[in-house]
Amino acid sequence: MQCSALLALAAAELAIREMGITFTVYSEGANIDRAWPFDIIPRVISARQWQQVSAGLAQRSRALNAFIDDIYNRQRILADGVLPAELVLESPNYKAPCAGMSPRYGVWAHICGSDLVRDADGRFYVLEDNLRVPSGVSYMVENREITKRVLPELFENYSILPVDDYPSRLYATLASLSPRERKRPCIVVLTPGIYNSAYFEHAFLAQGMGAELVEGSDLVVGDDDVVSMLTVDGPVRVDVIYRRIDEDFMDPEAFRADSMLGVPGLMRAWRAGKVAIANAPGSGVADDKAIYAFVPEMIRYYLGEEPKVASVPTWLCQREADREHVLRHLDQLVVKPVNESGGYGIMVGPHASAATRRRFARLIEENPRNYIAQPTLSLSTAPTFIDGSVEARHLDLRPFILQGRETWVTPGGLTRVALVRGSLVVNSSQGGGSKDTWIVEGRV
Amino acid sequence: MTMLSRVAERLYWTTRYLERAEDTARLIAAYNHLIMDLPRGNEPGWDILVRILDAEAQFYTRFRVPSEQNVLRFLIADGDSPSSIPHALRWARENVRTTRDVLPEDTWELVNELHLYAEEAAERSVGRRQRQQYLEEVVNRCQLINGLLASTLPRDHAYRFLKLGQLLERCDMTTRLIDVGVRELLGRDPHSLALQPPLWSALLQSLSALGAYRRMIAPVVDAEQAITFVFREPCLPRSVDFCLRGIREEIRPLHEPQAALAVVERARRKLARLNVEQMSPTQLQRYIDQFQGLLGELHAALSETWFRVRPQ
Repeated sequence: MQCSALLALAAAELAIREMGITFTVYSEGANIDRAWPFDIIPRVISARQWQQVSAGLAQRSRALNAFIDDIYNRQRILADGVLPAELVLESPNYKAPCAGMSPRYGVWAHICGSDLVRDADGRFYVLEDNLRVPSGVSYMVENREITKRVLPELFENYSILPVDDYPSRLYATLASLSPRERKRPCIVVLTPGIYNSAYFEHAFLAQGMGAELVEGSDLVVGDDDVVSMLTVDGPVRVDVIYRRIDEDFMDPEAFRADSMLGVPGLMRAWRAGKVAIANAPGSGVADDKAIYAFVPEMIRYYLGEEPKVASVPTWLCQREADREHVLRHLDQLVVKPVNESGGYGIMVGPHASAATRRRFARLIEENPRNYIAQPTLSLSTAPTFIDGSVEARHLDLRPFILQGRETWVTPGGLTRVALVRGSLVVNSSQGGGSKDTWIVEGRV
Repeated sequence: MTMLSRVAERLYWTTRYLERAEDTARLIAAYNHLIMDLPRGNEPGWDILVRILDAEAQFYTRFRVPSEQNVLRFLIADGDSPSSIPHALRWARENVRTTRDVLPEDTWELVNELHLYAEEAAERSVGRRQRQQYLEEVVNRCQLINGLLASTLPRDHAYRFLKLGQLLERCDMTTRLIDVGVRELLGRDPHSLALQPPLWSALLQSLSALGAYRRMIAPVVDAEQAITFVFREPCLPRSVDFCLRGIREEIRPLHEPQAALAVVERARRKLARLNVEQMSPTQLQRYIDQFQGLLGELHAALSETWFRVRPQ
């Protein structure tokens, strides 16, 4: 058994090299492509449990989109006092140039990656919703590809829901946004370029959709507000842009003027309805750890439903009562900055030194708006292959929700695993790995 | 299916750099051969290689004396020198890295390995003992990549722009090679013409064309005939004529090819006017310079038409 496990491990590593799956790490001087750390033992979830989570995620995505559309238009939710106006309108994620827009179907965040964890009670909780440029989906597809190569026998005995049609689902979602009625709208994936940590994924998705992978300099906006890509056959009109660059860098005319990555005039083209952009600029207003605390309220407010998947209780440090609670219980809580992603700047109270806790107490007092706190969950673990033996490691799960004319949730998602014993940080940039995730029908 | 101008340009430079690396290796190898055949004291200087590659300025900022060691260090071991083999391969690799998705799967791996080899083995290959092996290895691996592309790449835009880069660079390097011989003719007294057959054999060898010359022209290599052969022979794949026809063939089906085709036609007319017997070495040298000027114009036309597209 041990021997065959090692053989399978070697086969998986070979497959990763051959398939050229890499990600880029920023902090190593020159950017370096690292092989993707993959654990061969799949993580199994029953289809019955998944169905409920999946319905909850679709519900969440509908509510979040209704919220974004409301904020940039009538702002009913603020007028009704469901959440404080300054929390939304003073956030750097609120983009004034987007006000008054109403993209097709009222959908702004077409692609959402939500992070889920399972607590000691066995239930899934949503930890955060990534609505800006969520990444990781290519690894979900590639992980399945590796498992099929390495452990083909297992697929005979179980009915495992497939994940490899993600690029075609994404294509259908994006195509449904096209401003022109065309059988095959021109869709492009806009990447910041080779040095971005997710470049591999950008290329993967472009290839999977048969779309062009473009950089900012490949696109121009004409005086007629039409976006074109520059090709050897001349300029070709673009209908839909799958944007994988941050909105702040997207258009130097509208946002950061120093951006070299963007396309001057892109906002203008979008506002004129000549091009669809996914996710729409401004979507990040709902991707904010302070706003997160209000998602259950949004679901009740916009949909008149009860949340089908739970959120983690959250204290907002800007509220005085919450802040006092957080400062008193720093040794028990997880403190997160509101506007960071990738696991940077987080303090896990029970694991932090007294000095770190003092530092965070100071940070919170200086800038309470910037911090939230949540209870430390006892994240579930799964068997993981470490140096030739099997050990328990903490993990999370990032499913992807697509929303265009229709809503679709990936069966499973990307399971990320903390390879360091006891660690709760699963981000690949900080020593995390990943697993294939199986949604299995029938008895597991 | 169209192609982004940026991608087309990167593909074009990929093969230009690969061809440059291969032809530089061929050039050094041919010269190396020649030097060993000549009696001591009668060798032409190594600086001729630097002049051929138009790299005097860069060379003399790095070295004072154009000795064998220095020239070879410049062309093989100095990764920062734009004329070196590792430099060309590094840029070929950078261009493939960002166009992997339109190329056959193994291309990236082969180019990456070649780049790693060229850097790792460079230092120890400056000396005569290992030099030849290094040069052969570079040529062979370039051939392997060319073979992969020729036998697996669909004949669409990607293939066209790779082909254009390769043919244009080959044309350029072939004319530079002839320049080596012509510059040797200059300023030498008539009795040193004894030097000529081995020199021209070596140059033909570097184009893998010596056997073809012997079969098709004559067993003993003659300078004038060799020059005509390399410029004008329609069935020799490295001849200037062959490359120009290939370029014309790839340009024709492209969008709005008129400007670039006009330059190709001018180059072909220039080629038709070549009459080596009637020309002095000085005239021949001027002819080659003018011809290289035309190749520069051709590059500019490709660039203007397909790589720097601006909306109307």
